[in-house]
Amino acid sequence: MARVMAVDDDPRIREVLEMLFKMEGIDVTVASGGEEALEILEREGDDIDLLILDIMMPRMDGWDVVRALRDRGWTNRLLITMLTAKGDPGDKAIGLDEYVFDYITKPFDPEELVNRVKDFLEIVDAAK
Amino acid sequence: MQAERVIAIGASTGGLVALKEILSQLPDNIGAAVIIVQHMPSFIARSIVTTLNEISKLPVKLAEDGDILEENTVYLAPGGERHVVVENGRIRLVDGDKVNFCRPSVDVMMESIAREFGPRVVGAILTGMGHDGARGIAAIKERGGVTIAQDKVTSAVFGMPKAAIETGKVDHVMPSYRIASAIMDALGGQRYT
Repeated sequence: MARVMAVDDDPRIREVLEMLFKMEGIDVTVASGGEEALEILEREGDDIDLLILDIMMPRMDGWDVVRALRDRGWTNRLLITMLTAKGDPGDKAIGLDEYVFDYITKPFDPEELVNRVKDFLEIVDAAK
Repeated sequence: MQAERVIAIGASTGGLVALKEILSQLPDNIGAAVIIVQHMPSFIARSIVTTLNEISKLPVKLAEDGDILEENTVYLAPGGERHVVVENGRIRLVDGDKVNFCRPSVDVMMESIAREFGPRVVGAILTGMGHDGARGIAAIKERGGVTIAQDKVTSAVFGMPKAAIETGKVDHVMPSYRIASAIMDALGGQRYT
């Protein structure tokens, strides 16, 4: 089954996401920021299929991460969903339209998030 | 039967939910071809077709170069390398630079359909970042077609629909769950024109 990586600088959100997904039997990895996310993807990228990305993070924000993934050619094998309190993607998202498959706003409904993620994992699994 | 009317749909970020809503409500005898450009990584294109086929009464297939556009069939643009256009009643997958940072681009698809089918087109722009589809929806309206944009409340990102609305060429702004019936109304109105 496909794996998820959740990237968020807020430890509470990471904890909630990890718990939610584990309860559903979804294989999940967490990263506290863009740099760590890229390191993990470098190391075990083939095993991760779905990225859940916060936008507002220090140093590297979510859009920087998407841009870095695009530049490495990894957007071809990853499904990317933003999970953010920011309603409007803003100017930093310009040019990244086709790489971001979904955009979920915080506060999120846990059940809805899990269902969405399950749908995406099913799609990724069927693609293999 | 070769399609004489076309429903052209453009979607990006968050589009899958809206597409499912619309396709699950369209009848199997809609009397038009449906063409969808949904921005996505190409590796999931085939499984998106499978997912949509589970909920759609109309058969959904991946658009292939040379496909004759048949009515009561849904064609999904494969993600990735090529734009999708319609020429002489056939789907063409064509090379070209990205348009609005996108390939396939909604604008490129919709402009070709507006040229080819004129007033016999219903165009819809669904949720998405950026502004792909705004020029395309304007082209559809200028040739006499009917145009729809998803509203802000049901859009995951109100970028593409907003840009489409700002052209002044959108007839109806509505929640995703009402778009299918608006499409049917529009086709009903066009049936004998």
